Amino acid sequence: MRTKQEDLIRYKDGNLYCELADIWIDPSKPVKRALITHAHFDHFTFGCEEYLSTKETAMLLKERVGDNLNIKTFDYGEEFKINGINISFHPSGHILGSSQIRFIFAEEKWLISGDFKLQRDETCKEYEIVKTDYLISECTFGLPIFKWDESNKIANDISKWITNSPEKTSLLFCYSLGKAQRLLNEISQTNFKGNIYSHGSIHKMNNSYRKLGINIIDTIKIENKNKIDELKGSLILLPPSLSKGSYLKNFKNIQTAFASGWMSIRALRKRSGYDMGFPISDHADWDGILEVVKKSEAKNVFFHHGDSEALSKFLVEKESINVLFFGK
Amino acid sequence: MSLKNFSELFVNLDSNNSTNNKIEVLKNYFLSNDPKDNSWAIYLLTGKSNKRFISGRYLKNLFSQIYEYPEWLIDTCYLKVGDSAEVITLLLKNKSTSRKKKLSNISLNELLSKTIPDLSKLNEEEKNFKIKNMWETLPEDNHLIFNKILTGTFRIGVSIGLITKSISKLINIDEEIISHRLMGNFEPSIDSYEFLINKNINLKDLNSKPFPFLLANTIENKIFKHSINDFQFEWKYDGIRMQLIKRSGNVSLWTRGQELVNESFPELVAKMSHIKDDFVLDGELLVWNFKEQIAFDFSLLQKRINRKSPTKSIQLKYPIIFIAYDLLEINGRDIREIKLENRRIELEKYFSKWQNKTENNISDIFKICDLIFPKDWPDALTYKEKSRENNTEGLIIKKKTSIYSSGRKKGTWWKYKVDPMQLDAVLIYAKGGRGRRAGLYTDYSFALWKDQELIKFASAYSGLTNIEIKELDKWIRKNTIEKFGPVRSIKPEMVFEISFEKIQISKRHKSGIAVRFPRITKWRKDKKINDADSLENAYELMKKIS
Repeated sequence: MRTKQEDLIRYKDGNLYCELADIWIDPSKPVKRALITHAHFDHFTFGCEEYLSTKETAMLLKERVGDNLNIKTFDYGEEFKINGINISFHPSGHILGSSQIRFIFAEEKWLISGDFKLQRDETCKEYEIVKTDYLISECTFGLPIFKWDESNKIANDISKWITNSPEKTSLLFCYSLGKAQRLLNEISQTNFKGNIYSHGSIHKMNNSYRKLGINIIDTIKIENKNKIDELKGSLILLPPSLSKGSYLKNFKNIQTAFASGWMSIRALRKRSGYDMGFPISDHADWDGILEVVKKSEAKNVFFHHGDSEALSKFLVEKESINVLFFGK
Repeated sequence: MSLKNFSELFVNLDSNNSTNNKIEVLKNYFLSNDPKDNSWAIYLLTGKSNKRFISGRYLKNLFSQIYEYPEWLIDTCYLKVGDSAEVITLLLKNKSTSRKKKLSNISLNELLSKTIPDLSKLNEEEKNFKIKNMWETLPEDNHLIFNKILTGTFRIGVSIGLITKSISKLINIDEEIISHRLMGNFEPSIDSYEFLINKNINLKDLNSKPFPFLLANTIENKIFKHSINDFQFEWKYDGIRMQLIKRSGNVSLWTRGQELVNESFPELVAKMSHIKDDFVLDGELLVWNFKEQIAFDFSLLQKRINRKSPTKSIQLKYPIIFIAYDLLEINGRDIREIKLENRRIELEKYFSKWQNKTENNISDIFKICDLIFPKDWPDALTYKEKSRENNTEGLIIKKKTSIYSSGRKKGTWWKYKVDPMQLDAVLIYAKGGRGRRAGLYTDYSFALWKDQELIKFASAYSGLTNIEIKELDKWIRKNTIEKFGPVRSIKPEMVFEISFEKIQISKRHKSGIAVRFPRITKWRKDKKINDADSLENAYELMKKIS
């Protein structure tokens, strides 16, 4: 195994770092230069001197945190050079603008998968297979118990869930950016034809998506003046942070659900405190991760994000793939 | 009718729908499925029997063998999921390509009365083939039900009360009557179902069943405003609540958990058979210290509970007694509707008759409970505080004019327990101990029910013996769902009695309450998680003392 000094990309202070280019990937604290894979807040921190991302990610970030970020933007596939290293963004299928990042140095290719999924999602570019020598992949759902249903099946389940309780207001909790827009896109193709409301944070992201050319159905912004009666039988999208606490007192006669990959496990579903769980994720399932590992033709794989013990062992034993571990 | 309907019912009941919604869903299931399927559905949902046809381990091995899956990988998945049947169900989704095109449309009845029982007639190879075939032909959303029934782990948070309510609504007959019909054994058959939904109220077959038990509520302050003479006072024994029934000459012993336990206590059955009258007695079974005329500790009773056909020496070592509280039926006459004070008179009358006339001496195994006569409420308090001396848990206070209804009816019976306050809670997290307890999981978190969810309400470290700690540690390691650093989340299965000194509202805790000096006072192996207390009970406890 190579020592960590030789690796083009390594772990430093809990973040991915390319020393030769002096560039960080999704750093969790302010640095000079940061590559941002996508616009979720757990991949972004304030205070970096310079950010580099796709155009869509830059736009979404600015919508969320304000204009005064110094962001250099690139198209998917566009190569740029830093200290002799060729870097490019490629679609990862996670949310709009999300990307994998490829590094080429001295004919050696490194690929950081970013958060990714292979499943259908009409609100963002499909995952692009990128060949690499070294793959650094996320591993959020790295166990074979995770096998996603088709998203239209989940959307139909959601539609049934709402229409089976016409007396109730159905609150569906989901992440404001990405998941909400994907759900709206899927639900608009089901039999559910009732009103859809969305929380301000989601409403804002819907607009951002539209500005970026993605067609998202109209939803009504949920406000205090909404009459409880008119909410009956309708769907309301809310961010998960509002599921606990007093916000729910604004509604009467509700049923709640959470849209997340973790909801595929009964024990987690029960513990979550929601009435219902819809297992739909913007991360790859077990098969998805395996497919990417194989199709990338990587000889060496690192995992980060999530418990990768089982997946690593499986790849080594069953697929004879070299799995490497970052030094602390 | 296909298994699919039952799978859908399961999903519906398993999600946190409102009670009314669930009753509606159940009612509609009963309406749209045939009596055979309905009887099986009730059988499964009430948890009357959870026969294990194959073990979870067997299921995992079989899957590993068929699909060439490493066993360690299945075990890792198990840690996350905490249920073999569910692990295999989830893993089968990954194997959907091997699914046959023609899907089976088997009914719940066929599956349970034929397919699964027939497995035991097959040799291992045939059995494995059959299970594989079921996996490949059953629609995906039926897998969980199939695997759970196979492994005897079909459990769902549906109370008998919910079934009772839905049947009651279905046929428009009082819940009390349905609840009586559901007591005791329920055989999954058309007859059982027809019996349940029979519109005729007076059914002979009820004779084989115990009455629904009447349960005591925690003491309420308002009771102290009433005259002490309105109530009957008894000691609250810490044994097994039972109905001792003799009908048409046959004696049966039914626990509150609706188990027939004749085989565990043959000496009692034998003695009571000599009595000439028929009767239904409500009372408590205890291991009795005849010398001092007080109960032995509950732990001695545990030596008898699960032991069938105990030897003479066990019977002598742990001598039992049945203490009757109440007479519910005498020579075929249901007297539950007459006042308690009058039932007591009947009880005393028959007891003295039996004592004098029976050839065998029954007093070495049967007595009626002594009454206590406090002068006023402060005096009642004094009695309560003395209850530790005679190994009782406090007092039971019964309204003299009350009839014997069912369930935890308000305003009839109260338990006035000796301090501390106690709740039965479910173990959900464990953390490794330090120092002497390093390497053992000794720091526990306990939860109470809120609807169908278990909410953490207290952590406790003390109260178990070293032997119990070791036993529990071993169990925890085998039943871990997830590890978060040093903390493990545990399959909710174990119930403990948690005692504490003070209970108050707390915004800092998810449960909304905080308790002072929580400690484990008993490992309630006799209780299932559904028997644990709810947060509502905790709130009521709080209301009552403030």
